[in-house]
Amino acid sequence: MTGVNRRDFIKTGAAGLAAATVASVAPPTSASQTTNYPAIDVAALDTLEPGAEVAFEYPDASAPSVLLRLREAVPGGVGPGKDIVAYSLLCTHKGCSVNFLSERQMLVCPCHWSSFDPAKKGRLIIGQASQSLPMIELEVRGGMVRAVGMDGLIYGRHTNIL
Amino acid sequence: MSNAPLPPPNAEVVETVCQFCIVGCGYRVYKWPVGKDGGPGPDQNAIGADLREQQGPEGDWISPNMHAVVKDKAGAFNVAIVPDKSCSVNSGLASVRGGGLAQTLYSPDRGTKARLGMPQLREGDGFADAEWDETVDLGARVIKAVIDRWGPDAVGMKFFDHGGGGGGFENNWAVGRFFFEGVGTRTASIHNRPAYNSEVHAAGDAGLAPLTNAYIDAQLADTILIVGANPYETQTNYFLNHMIPNLNGDSLDLKRSTFPGEPAAPGRMIIMDPRRTISVATAEAAAGKENVLHLQIEPGTDIAVMNAIARTVLERRWHDVAFIKERAEWQTFEAYQRSSLGSDRDAATVVTEAAALADILEADIYKAAEWIAKPKSGGVRRRTLFHYEKGLIWGVKNYENIASIVDLGLLTGNVGKPGTGISRLGGHQEAYVRPPYPGGRPALNVDEAARRGEAKVFWVGGCNPVLTTLRAEAVEANLIERGAPVSKAIAETVGKPIGERVAAIVEALKAGGMFILAQDLYMTATARHAHMVLPAAQWGEMNLTSINGERRLRLYPRFMDPPGEAEPDWAIMGKFARRLNQLYQDDNNPLMANKFLDFDWRGDEDVFIDARYSYKGDGNDPMEGYAGITYGLLRDLGNNGIQTPVRLVNRVPVGTVRLFEDGRFGTPSGKARFIPAPRPWPGYAAAVERQRKTYRFWINNGRVNHIWQTSYHHRHIDFYRERYPVPMLEMHPDDAEELGIAPGDVLQVSNDMGSVEAMAYPTDSVKRNHAFMLFGQPRGAAGDLVTDHVDPKTTIPYYKGAWADIRRKGAKPAEFEMASFLPRNVVE
Repeated sequence: MTGVNRRDFIKTGAAGLAAATVASVAPPTSASQTTNYPAIDVAALDTLEPGAEVAFEYPDASAPSVLLRLREAVPGGVGPGKDIVAYSLLCTHKGCSVNFLSERQMLVCPCHWSSFDPAKKGRLIIGQASQSLPMIELEVRGGMVRAVGMDGLIYGRHTNIL
Repeated sequence: MSNAPLPPPNAEVVETVCQFCIVGCGYRVYKWPVGKDGGPGPDQNAIGADLREQQGPEGDWISPNMHAVVKDKAGAFNVAIVPDKSCSVNSGLASVRGGGLAQTLYSPDRGTKARLGMPQLREGDGFADAEWDETVDLGARVIKAVIDRWGPDAVGMKFFDHGGGGGGFENNWAVGRFFFEGVGTRTASIHNRPAYNSEVHAAGDAGLAPLTNAYIDAQLADTILIVGANPYETQTNYFLNHMIPNLNGDSLDLKRSTFPGEPAAPGRMIIMDPRRTISVATAEAAAGKENVLHLQIEPGTDIAVMNAIARTVLERRWHDVAFIKERAEWQTFEAYQRSSLGSDRDAATVVTEAAALADILEADIYKAAEWIAKPKSGGVRRRTLFHYEKGLIWGVKNYENIASIVDLGLLTGNVGKPGTGISRLGGHQEAYVRPPYPGGRPALNVDEAARRGEAKVFWVGGCNPVLTTLRAEAVEANLIERGAPVSKAIAETVGKPIGERVAAIVEALKAGGMFILAQDLYMTATARHAHMVLPAAQWGEMNLTSINGERRLRLYPRFMDPPGEAEPDWAIMGKFARRLNQLYQDDNNPLMANKFLDFDWRGDEDVFIDARYSYKGDGNDPMEGYAGITYGLLRDLGNNGIQTPVRLVNRVPVGTVRLFEDGRFGTPSGKARFIPAPRPWPGYAAAVERQRKTYRFWINNGRVNHIWQTSYHHRHIDFYRERYPVPMLEMHPDDAEELGIAPGDVLQVSNDMGSVEAMAYPTDSVKRNHAFMLFGQPRGAAGDLVTDHVDPKTTIPYYKGAWADIRRKGAKPAEFEMASFLPRNVVE
């Protein structure tokens, strides 16, 4: 139909696909206050089998968190396979602790069922939270996976470092 | 964002209600100057929280999306909008939409900078800023010329008719008065449909109102039936704060104390929906699978299933004989049995046929009948709450569809008692005040009138039909075609005296043109085709009043200025009415001039008082009324407001928790009426059947929890836009595999009505050969695929009834990269 001008058509095909690399959606060199964050060893890289799930606290003892080794390279992932990520476990809806459904590779809150995608920087899949699950910035140094910062505000805080 | 500023103890605090869905959750708005933040100590911030320590679950917390810096006439302010724990509707719960309310506020530094701040007049392919006075003068003169030459019906309109953001008593009343009392046009239509009509005429004819129950009834019911709705996503905190506590047993104590001596158990839920939605999954998580019945029906067959359930109830003698005898017109009950329930045939056959048609188990129809109506131990009647929404309303035959659930509710006596009700779940909030529509019933189809050239003026307010109406491509093509000669006339008379400009426009109208006005917050897809665009104020920029899904009336106060010269809709209507009054006076036509008198309200409360008094007076209408309500009273009542109808008892306004507790219904006899349908199932209309036979996929469509309506706000906010950059289309994984479609691929969805693009979202939520598409989006309007068939009795479309072919158009583009494709209906 000629003259119909409202549709901003979706660009598809090779050009779009080529642009869709993990690098293109990697975090802009950090909105978080990396300098204020502690660096904490979470796990030795060689202990993290595929499917690994490691509970820890970050940036302090009252902030339950989880490190996950996913099945594929993801935005913000570290390690040789870019498949290691970590998140705050406190749901950004009402602060209950989310569970990792390993078969589905999703984080789900048992209180009001908000769910988050660990392969998309903690984006809300469906549910009632008003922001993504805060992602913990990781680095690999000397064979250790270390937590070094955060992107996103932890539930129940006005600033991540109390 | 890794922090959120705290409001200081002296921050301005306003109680208000969410602008989005029907539920109307309470929120608190904190406003304070930039640079004057509060601190983490409980006496250092206005929320009274001790944020020196980690908050526990359900604590006081401001998420980054609950905060924004906004631009006011006096400068930049911080605003934080947080859910209100003291509001009985949501008890401190936010939804994904309400949690981002702050992001919808105007700022020149965020996406909402796209708000309209000045009137716009067409200039070639674009627009130029204009002054209000010249804009109103030109528009009013064109409208007058059209009324004088072609009569009032040549002025067509499609306007919001709702509460919440962009609506409310104030704006609805002013718009209604302008078009119905002023212009006197019948060529009127409501935001989402081609006519000015009820979506539930059958409920009205039965003597019921659309919203009969209180939300607490969902905590008290033995069984909740939900037909054609997905409340976790679209009536969120009614579901989470009232239905879930029933399903998981949390409301047992309330049941026992409310109904002493009556058997009490955690509630059961029946959901009739062609999709296995997250509402089904979460209901199962709360109640246990054994207490949730999902009837995953084929499209348009809900009515047959409902009638088969009713026939079973009757056969087993579980119907409420006392209620029917005392509260209903008996002869309508007899007619209902003969026609809707097919009582000339064997009951088992009716069930077998319905099960086959709907592709569900016969046993599930019997189970539904038991859960709805089989008496509890001791012969105590079950309390069942009946809810329905767009899946039924916009179904195969609007009038008979609504009749089927209303009749089933009446058959089992489930209205006017705690724990019962027969109600819409609702989409948007409501504000029912309008002068009566001057046309008859069925109402005139405005889309048709515009297509045939009978509408010379088409004024679109607070809605976007190019994205949401049926057969939307044709509607848009018509706007372009009929708008063009008027655009040309405007271009050729730039700088000429106003009389010459109007004369040129009228010549263009004579030649088949149409003068298009759009009144909105943003330059929408429809507004882009207008000749005149009027900037409207939004929620928070004016005082407005609305009711929610349990008729809870509250004040939504103004707490900031509109951008630029944007004005509340009621004030815009006032400007046009006053100008028309003057033009008719100048023309020595007092008859017409007087129709536009009394539009000079001094403020929004004037409009409210005018509306609520003119609409129902201070009388005793059993269905609706607002006697004695003022802004002052509503301010005192805060976020719990008062439930309508409100009547004066000893001069004190008294609300109504649930309707029909006195057993009197809205019919001349005061008794409810069964609405017999000619047959248990009406079948598909010809235009629909043609599509069904030609194309493979049923394209169901509706909302998702992230996105409100056409995404007019949410497309400007990263958090929401990244989730659904374009409309997603759910399809079965086996169908996707067969067609070589991967998650995130771009799809082309086409049929004889049009063609749209969508983002592939394979999921077993839908059956094979079914699909579900997010409706009404700027980059893909499901309405393009819908036929122009309407129920001839009500002029309500079968919006859910489109069939189309789906093909893969291309691979997932980079802009979908942060959209998740994990299941939307898995919670454990």
